[in-house]
Amino acid sequence: MTAEMLAHDDELAIRFCGLSFATPLVLLSGCVGFAEEYTRVAGFSHRQTGAVCLKGTTGQARLGNPAHRICETPMGMLNAIGLQNPGVDYVVKHILPTLDFSETRFIANVSGSTVEEYVEVTQRFEDSPIDAIEINISCPNVKQGGVAFGNDPAMAARVVAACRAVTQKPLITKLSPNQTDIAHSAHCCIEAGTDGLSVMNTLMGMAIDAETRRPVLGNNQGGLSGPAIKPVALLKVHQVYQVAKRHNIPIIGQGGVSNARDALEFLIAGASAVGIGTALFYDPLICAKINDGIRDYLTRHQLRHVSELTGSLTLNSPARPPVSCGA
Amino acid sequence: MSSTAHRDTLFVEQAPIIHNHRCPGGQYLLRLKAPICAQKAQPGQFIHLQCDPHLPLRRPLSILSTDADAGVVDLLYLPVGQGTQTLTTRKAGEILDLIGPIGQPFSLPAHASRPLLLGGGVGIPPVLFLAARLAANAHHQPLAFLGSELPFPFDTRKAALDIPGLPTEASDTLSCCEDWGIPTRLSSRAGLPGCFNGFVTELADHWLKQLAPAERAKVTIYACGPHPMLAACAALAKAYQLPCQVSLEEHMACGVGGCAGCVVETQQDGQPRMQRVCVDGPVFDAYQVF
Ligand SMILES: Cc1cc2nc3c(=O)[nH]c(=O)nc-3n(C[C@H](O)[C@H](O)[C@H](O)COP(=O)(O)OP(=O)(O)OC[C@H]3O[C@@H](n4cnc5c(N)ncnc54)[C@H](O)[C@@H]3O)c2cc1C
Ligand SMILES: Cc1cc2nc3c(=O)[nH]c(=O)nc-3n(C[C@H](O)[C@H](O)[C@H](O)COP(=O)(O)O)c2cc1C
Ligand code: FES
Repeated sequence: MTAEMLAHDDELAIRFCGLSFATPLVLLSGCVGFAEEYTRVAGFSHRQTGAVCLKGTTGQARLGNPAHRICETPMGMLNAIGLQNPGVDYVVKHILPTLDFSETRFIANVSGSTVEEYVEVTQRFEDSPIDAIEINISCPNVKQGGVAFGNDPAMAARVVAACRAVTQKPLITKLSPNQTDIAHSAHCCIEAGTDGLSVMNTLMGMAIDAETRRPVLGNNQGGLSGPAIKPVALLKVHQVYQVAKRHNIPIIGQGGVSNARDALEFLIAGASAVGIGTALFYDPLICAKINDGIRDYLTRHQLRHVSELTGSLTLNSPARPPVSCGA
Repeated sequence: MSSTAHRDTLFVEQAPIIHNHRCPGGQYLLRLKAPICAQKAQPGQFIHLQCDPHLPLRRPLSILSTDADAGVVDLLYLPVGQGTQTLTTRKAGEILDLIGPIGQPFSLPAHASRPLLLGGGVGIPPVLFLAARLAANAHHQPLAFLGSELPFPFDTRKAALDIPGLPTEASDTLSCCEDWGIPTRLSSRAGLPGCFNGFVTELADHWLKQLAPAERAKVTIYACGPHPMLAACAALAKAYQLPCQVSLEEHMACGVGGCAGCVVETQQDGQPRMQRVCVDGPVFDAYQVF
């Protein structure tokens, strides 16, 4: 059976940026190393996923941040790994050849400190078997005082346009929630040529040890992930979807998904695929459970295919003019 | 980093609690039915345990002992925060989800040797697991020094097996070690009776000092405990030019090598490297860490 046929036959199989995903589940960058790590766990299989995003990769090898790199927080965790990776050359030469591309789609995650570095890394992946390229624009721009590319829609669009110019592969832009208007940023990235969007990356946060009066993380601050960020992520997906749907740009919704119900909520908010990151740390076998839960839901709601859920949200119509202040 | 050799080497088990009881000193002895882990675990390895469904992360705990025939794994833990405190409330018959056995175990020399085991606090379990394995191997002549500020959670008694060179106050031993034929002494700075008032590294120094050079050259140090203790163990090993393996702790998220959250900086061939405590460790060559 070809992947193309599967996409029609199986209620969970989807097309994403022209790629066939066996299920809507995407393992998220930074949570599964360079993809072989979780295969240590008996019962885990890449075949339970639609795609796997590899660890953020830069032009040169990076050692990353000192310990502590992670810290548990109420229903979530902070991480400040600092993009530890062996550099794009090593990844292409030594890691990609060991991956089994019959199991799932593998997506590179591109990071950089300058626009030139994003381009260099993207170009290197262009000449590789990788299925798609996700650009992580949440990295600090060293030429602009360390402000993250993703915090400024114009800067984000410059990165996207520059990478677009050097790749024919599907290009997915991963948006940061640490900005004022994520929908505007999405619009700029779409105009710059992105084929898909990942919504959203981690929210910046800090943990302090009152005894020592020092931050817990070696890097002082880090990215918050896990169930704690889910309501924020759902709203961001909903907001970005309003823009993306007009251009047929699909979204990988993510942020705190830990069960089938969470995954369904992201699909309903406008995602075509759903990312699983932090939840794997608690349950490495969660993908099979989420797939089963989505199938059950489709049966109960008499839906033929998971894609029917995408953007199926019906908003309430407030009797009075809407207020956005939460009051 | 990315070979397929390690596929299917870690196991998720739904492990019924057989018992979970408080020991003198406030640590808890947890016995789980986990047949795969019981069969495969090596000294130095740990499990990653769901302690509390309301916490987003698992907790790593070292394996204290296993009984492959009975399919059980023993753990010893000190309640310190929410995860381990919730664990104290879990009752026999309840199920705990674990991943294991994880990590690089202590590696034993192939030739006859004198393993010197040093354990401190919650670092004692993996050292005792190693002691049990060494006891079963007539090849080696192990010796152990264990330190605790809390009353030892195991039976102690006056030692019969002699260790030359020690202060007389170090008179007590763990009954299990003595039964295994492993000369052992205890240290504590909390004034526990029968214990040497100081650090395990001081006891080790006393013993190493009186050994003939040819015997001393057969010693390898195996250590697990708080970071300052491991630093002292590494310093001792350097002073006597002995090989030394240390088992480290670091905050962990995945426990399977995926997140790079648990790293320690090591030096290899003069180059710094960030290695994951969960799967590249927890046991490291002390010379690469300190
Ligand atoms: C390989 C390994 C083996 C261990 N073996 C044992 C053992 O046999 N017995 C035992 O009592 N303890 C052991 N520990 C320490 C034990 O994991 C921690 O005490 C426990 O995670 C604390 O969780 P908590 O929720 O009670 O505390 P909290 O302080 O509330 O925990 C908050 C967060 O910090 C992490 N954390 C806190 N202290 C430590 C620590 N020392 N090491 C790693 N993470 C920590 C927790 O996992 C959690 O993510 C081991 C740690 C490691 C890394
Ligand atoms: C330990 C860790 C490392 C991460 N590393 C990266 C990275 O290298 N590149 C990236 O784009 N996102 C990275 N992320 C963000 C995740 O891919 C994901 O977007 C985020 O964690 C939200 O999803 P979750 O709540 O399901 O984990 C990382 C997250 C975690 C927890
Ligand atoms: S805890 Fe994730 S790599 Fe060690």
